[in-house]
Amino acid sequence: MTLQREKRKYSWGMVVDVDKCTGCQACVLACQAENNVPLNLQDRFERARVMSWIRVERYWEGEFPDIKARFIPIMCQHCENAPCEPVCPVFATYHNNEGLNVQVYNRCVGTRYCANGCPYIVRFFNYWEPVWPEAFRNHLNPDVTVRSRGIMEKCSFCIQRIRRGVRNAERENRDVVDGEIQTACTQACPTDALVFGNFMDEDSKVSKMKKDDRHYTLLPHLETDPNVVYLAKIDTDKSAGESHG
Amino acid sequence: MLATLLEFLREKHRTTPMWLKVLIPVLGVGSLGVVAVMGAFLAFVVTAWLGQPIPVLGFDQSVEQPIAFPHTIHAGMGVYTNSTGDQIQGLGMDCTFCHRTVTSQANAGVPPVQFCAYCHQVIGGEESEPLTQVRTAAGIIGDSPHPIDWKRVHRMPDHVRFVHEPHIRYLTQNPDKVTNSTSGETIGAAGVCSTCHGDVASMEEVAQVEPLKMGQCVNCHRENEAPTDCASCHH
Repeated sequence: MTLQREKRKYSWGMVVDVDKCTGCQACVLACQAENNVPLNLQDRFERARVMSWIRVERYWEGEFPDIKARFIPIMCQHCENAPCEPVCPVFATYHNNEGLNVQVYNRCVGTRYCANGCPYIVRFFNYWEPVWPEAFRNHLNPDVTVRSRGIMEKCSFCIQRIRRGVRNAERENRDVVDGEIQTACTQACPTDALVFGNFMDEDSKVSKMKKDDRHYTLLPHLETDPNVVYLAKIDTDKSAGESHG
Repeated sequence: MLATLLEFLREKHRTTPMWLKVLIPVLGVGSLGVVAVMGAFLAFVVTAWLGQPIPVLGFDQSVEQPIAFPHTIHAGMGVYTNSTGDQIQGLGMDCTFCHRTVTSQANAGVPPVQFCAYCHQVIGGEESEPLTQVRTAAGIIGDSPHPIDWKRVHRMPDHVRFVHEPHIRYLTQNPDKVTNSTSGETIGAAGVCSTCHGDVASMEEVAQVEPLKMGQCVNCHRENEAPTDCASCHH
């Protein structure tokens, strides 16, 4: 595994500074618009079939009036040892050599094993054909497939933007500059709580942030080795050790 | 031996009823016909599966355009007959002259009708039917300018993200990889389009000549050491 990683040129990943997250949901909206995610109308909430490639989870801590809201954005963790990958009978989800957990829509047959295997609950099944209001007719992103009924979808780290960035770099015969490629959520984040970059590049912003003492990954006991790293919340009221989340 | 056989046949001839004597050849010829029809159908399905279907019954891959635009006169280098019957020397225009975004973007781009009008408000006879349509669409004749609803000939499925730019770049840098020689320009970006689109410069009505299925894409990507990662095209 380590040898394979060293040969790579890119290992895309994200660092989420939970301390900076204000829970504004701009990332959720940006993702929805960028990736042609269907609208979550009331009936989807009622049936608990909401589709949202990134979501901001909210936790309340303490009792009113001494209460704090905690926010944590959660998207596909792009695990190196992904539980969703080995269970797919048609290899519709696999790990590519750039550290991305890829979902191939045209291969997917909709068994939903991957969603059952995912401990982060970030895979979403299309129970219905996606429909948009007439006013939204021309808003769809042409670089992203519109997923039809019966297939699984999830955060792709905006792979269409990665491809475009790499292509532009190749055209100009150079490597991708750090910060050149932005996912929709990192671009929309007003506080820069979400940062996207290349972990193979030692000087990139994500690599430096990853070395922060506050870093942790979600559900580390499962040893999924995610490519999304979180930086813990700094709480001035408490000692540093207790302040996760 | 022969006498016994003849005797057997005579006996059969006497005992077989008339309706059976008629029915057997009818069934024979009929079943041959069924076999022939099924064979043709199988051939059609197999060719469609492996590449392009046999060009019959509207499966000939060419599309009738709203205006009879001749790629021959614009891109070709030979002498062609135009819509009014005159002999015209082909211009040999570069594909990128009209399909401007092909070297920089995903789509090759179809020029707006005003682009046609830059030349055709002056060039071309007034009695030409297609040119009258172009000038009407551009607002030179009459006052109802409207876009032309060109029909798409080469269409990828929705789950494929094909980007022209890197393909044109690679083939321009490696001219020995270009297949399907073109009768038009052979320099620069225009010389490489024929690899997938065939010799468009010689087509009166553009048709898809390559199957452009995933097998063809992957074979070419393997030969040229291009990425074969699924996510390169499917996302």
